[in-house]
Amino acid sequence: MNADRLIKFELARLNAHLPERRISLKEALSLTKPQVPTRDGSVHSFKRKELEILAKLLPEADWEKLQLPIFIALEPKLGRGAAKVSGEVEAKVAAKLLGKEAARELLIYRPEVALLRRNLPTTTQYLFVW
Amino acid sequence: MSYKTAVIGDMDTTTGMALAGATHTHVHVKRDETLAKLNEFLTSDEIGLILVTHRVAEELGFEFRQMMRTKRLLPLVLRIPDKTGYVPKVDELQETIKRTVGAEIVVKKEGG
Amino acid sequence: MATALAVSPTRMELMKLKKQLNLAQRGHDLLKEKMDALVMEFFEIFRKIQESRTKALEQLSTAYRALTNCFALMGTLETVQAARETRRELQIEISSRYLMGISIPAVEFGEIQRNALTRGYGLHMTSSVLDEAAREFERALGLLVELAETEAVAFAIARELEKTKRRVNALEYILIPRLKGALKFIMMRLDEMERENFTRLKRIKAIIEEHR
Repeated sequence: MNADRLIKFELARLNAHLPERRISLKEALSLTKPQVPTRDGSVHSFKRKELEILAKLLPEADWEKLQLPIFIALEPKLGRGAAKVSGEVEAKVAAKLLGKEAARELLIYRPEVALLRRNLPTTTQYLFVW
Repeated sequence: MSYKTAVIGDMDTTTGMALAGATHTHVHVKRDETLAKLNEFLTSDEIGLILVTHRVAEELGFEFRQMMRTKRLLPLVLRIPDKTGYVPKVDELQETIKRTVGAEIVVKKEGG
Repeated sequence: MATALAVSPTRMELMKLKKQLNLAQRGHDLLKEKMDALVMEFFEIFRKIQESRTKALEQLSTAYRALTNCFALMGTLETVQAARETRRELQIEISSRYLMGISIPAVEFGEIQRNALTRGYGLHMTSSVLDEAAREFERALGLLVELAETEAVAFAIARELEKTKRRVNALEYILIPRLKGALKFIMMRLDEMERENFTRLKRIKAIIEEHR
């Protein structure tokens, strides 16, 4: 069992269906089927209910700046259970939902990740940076 | 993609669901017929959800469980109680939890 | 099975093994992080199922009662006939979404098709009990569609969790101990060889001294 191959294989599995590109909240709201194409040719759909939640949390001017899905990044140097939300508007909306202060990027811990995921299960995605 | 719904159960269940908009219904009488119908629903490209009553699922027994294990992602299959409210004692979900997460839960409680 | 790793006790091997161990530990961390996330998602979906099931079953009971009522007041045959002739057809929208690489269904209540002729139940006069039964079942169906999606997601997560747990265990209980064992073996042998060399050198030195 080669450890190097194992990591590559596992990462490939985790990242296979990541979106090929993201779309803004504004664009998502305008589509009848809000979704993004995934790297492997499939699609990842957003639930309208979540788009509405996000729209309420941000001023309309920010709707075209918010890129979906919002990535919740996990990386080894953050330590177990910690995650990062990057992107100014992404961090802003996540912070607002969590009742925290916003910054350019947001560091969150397990219970906060859980809360984000509970409210935005389709508009957030895990990103493993290993 | 748009899909339709199918129901397999007794007269009450199928009637009620038909009123609500289920497209395909089958009233269970004989085991072989029902299994054949279920297979038809499972292999149909236009059906997205099949509702089956717990009673019928139990009566179909092993074959039913087999079909559930080997079926494709779609259609989704959901077991529901009929008008008697009968729900089997063994809950598949609970069993699945015990199997996969059972140990985890204990560890988490102690470790915090 | 450290002994099964046929390694020659050289410094090269030592370096290779240290690198392997490092990678294995990184892989272990990655999988543990994944598992943590999966467990969290699972607990969340499980909670949703409980809620969803309670609501759906309650509504279903109500619907069955309304139907029984309808049977009693309108007649069983008439009700069944009306159901057969109903023009309403539920369409559900199912597409895919992804969670950590696993495909799960995204289900939304779609359009309810209505035949151009009539929204009702064929040519019969619609009775209010029939309407009520239909309405309650419609509500129940909506909740059941939600429940079906939630259960499908739960099983998908459970399956992935099992797979991941197995891989974590393989690393934790087989590969990493194997690597550590081999590492320890090499280090011991290298130490031993160094000591032997040292002793040998001392002896040689002593002999040289003697012959001076």
